[in-house]
Amino acid sequence: MPAFLEGLACVRPGYLAISFCALVAATGCTPAVPPDLLADIDAVDRQLIDLGAPRIAADEYASFATRWAALRIRTQAYDDLIRWPWESNRIEDELRQLLAHGDTTLVRVQEEQAALRRTAETAIAKLDERLSALSSQVASLGSHIVLGKELTHADLLLKQARSFFQQRDYARSLEITKQANETLDVQTAVLTRDLQRYADAQQIARWQIMARRTVEWSRIHQSPAIIVSKVDRELLLYENGKKVSSYPVRLGYNGLKDKLVQGDGATPEGRYRVAALKGEGETQFFRALLLDYPNQEDRRRFRAAVQAGIVPPTASIGGLIEIHGMDSTGTSQTLGCIMLDNSHMQRVFSRVVAGTPVTIVGALTERNAITLTLTELQQQQGAT
Amino acid sequence: MKPMRQTAMLFVLTALLAGGCAKPPSDKIEAAEQAVKQARERGANVYAPEEYAKLEGKLTALKQEAAEQEGKFAPFQDYGKVEELAVSTANEAAAVSSAATQKKEEAKTAALQAQQVAQEAVSSTRQLIAKAPVGKDRAAIESIKNDIEALTASLTQVQASIDKEDYQAAQTQAKAIDEKSRAISVEIQDAIAKVKPRKVSPFPKQ
Repeated sequence: MPAFLEGLACVRPGYLAISFCALVAATGCTPAVPPDLLADIDAVDRQLIDLGAPRIAADEYASFATRWAALRIRTQAYDDLIRWPWESNRIEDELRQLLAHGDTTLVRVQEEQAALRRTAETAIAKLDERLSALSSQVASLGSHIVLGKELTHADLLLKQARSFFQQRDYARSLEITKQANETLDVQTAVLTRDLQRYADAQQIARWQIMARRTVEWSRIHQSPAIIVSKVDRELLLYENGKKVSSYPVRLGYNGLKDKLVQGDGATPEGRYRVAALKGEGETQFFRALLLDYPNQEDRRRFRAAVQAGIVPPTASIGGLIEIHGMDSTGTSQTLGCIMLDNSHMQRVFSRVVAGTPVTIVGALTERNAITLTLTELQQQQGAT
Repeated sequence: MKPMRQTAMLFVLTALLAGGCAKPPSDKIEAAEQAVKQARERGANVYAPEEYAKLEGKLTALKQEAAEQEGKFAPFQDYGKVEELAVSTANEAAAVSSAATQKKEEAKTAALQAQQVAQEAVSSTRQLIAKAPVGKDRAAIESIKNDIEALTASLTQVQASIDKEDYQAAQTQAKAIDEKSRAISVEIQDAIAKVKPRKVSPFPKQ
């Protein structure tokens, strides 16, 4: 008999039993699942939820949550089991796999979230820039009202996109930004349609002819004449066929449009004459030159518009279009008149007479502020 | 001795048969599925997304467990855990559903409040425009009026979002309208402030 067995034989059986139980207690009673592991998975789960994974990575989170729910139930069942140290621990292995899966998902969601955040942030910044550019470009043209409701709508959408961004709902923020860009596309199309005639070579040629005839009239009749270029916001004063001075003007609040009906805020285009001079005390606008608007052509256009249903039959063609000075309010736009600073008005007033021709045109050159603006707007549209 | 052996065999057979008759608790599983579906219908996926994702996870776990048991040899099938899971899923679904309903109600209340604030802001801006000067000064106001028209049109979109129960969108829309409306009010007040009182204020045709 080996020596150690001989030694064991000397040990009392009672001590042997106690030693065995102690061994079992020390090894077999180790928990089936380390509590730290469960806490780690719980922590990953919480982080995923905080990042909004159920919303932004629904499938991946559902897969994690499903496995976690199933393993949690099995873990609870394992609580009652005693595992021998030499037995393989499948549930622990699976939990470790789940933790690894959770960690991977977490990293991916964090990366995706960060990428989405950057995309949304850039989209908002671009939209803001586009909206500001459109507003300022259009404001510089002085045709705010031409924009209609779309610009305000786009502005509201921008604010809404920002709200969703602040709520960390980047996907929705992007969705709203897209809508706003579509609204601006519509706006650009409307502007292009309304202002296209300023880029139309044939139309500009017609305006140039009108202007040339006026200058020619001034030369032949050795008299003053006025040409107003709406896009340049300039009044050109001619005497004996020669330009003697030019003055900046302000137009109607919808001045880039050709006047069609009373209250449209547009400034008329065509060949007119000074019908009357209003001196001190005869006008609230310092001095004024009343034009013979509407002329025959204006009346023909108005009738055609009524017949076509473009304007209601109850509408009026309007009148009282003047070249005038400033009133006391310092307003920057008119309802359709042409407004000059008082000092300039005084000079113009002193040189014209009743019957002086006044030709109002959209533009005198093909390369004008509107064609440049339209090109820029189209470039911005292309960039989004 | 012989009758004793027959009795024992009969007992074992009965036990086996009894074990083989274990059936999945279909009604409870169905009830759990229905409860989860109802929670979604009540907007749990939107208003309690985390809880709802967990709920869906639990439902999947339940189905997996049921499938696992079904795959076992009949006498060894045990649907006790499935049943327990089904009951707890249904209970949790009811709780999530109730929480979602409450959160949805809160969102609705917040959206309605925001809508009211926006309506009041637009209305007060409209009133301000009515006070704005006429005549030449109206030119500047005209362009602002256009903005107000756009805001009024947008109020209908807030209502549309509320009707669709998209309270989050309704709230953000209403807040945007309120913000814009206030900005326009400031613009109008500035325009009014610029105007000095006039003796005569004829409204030209134009």
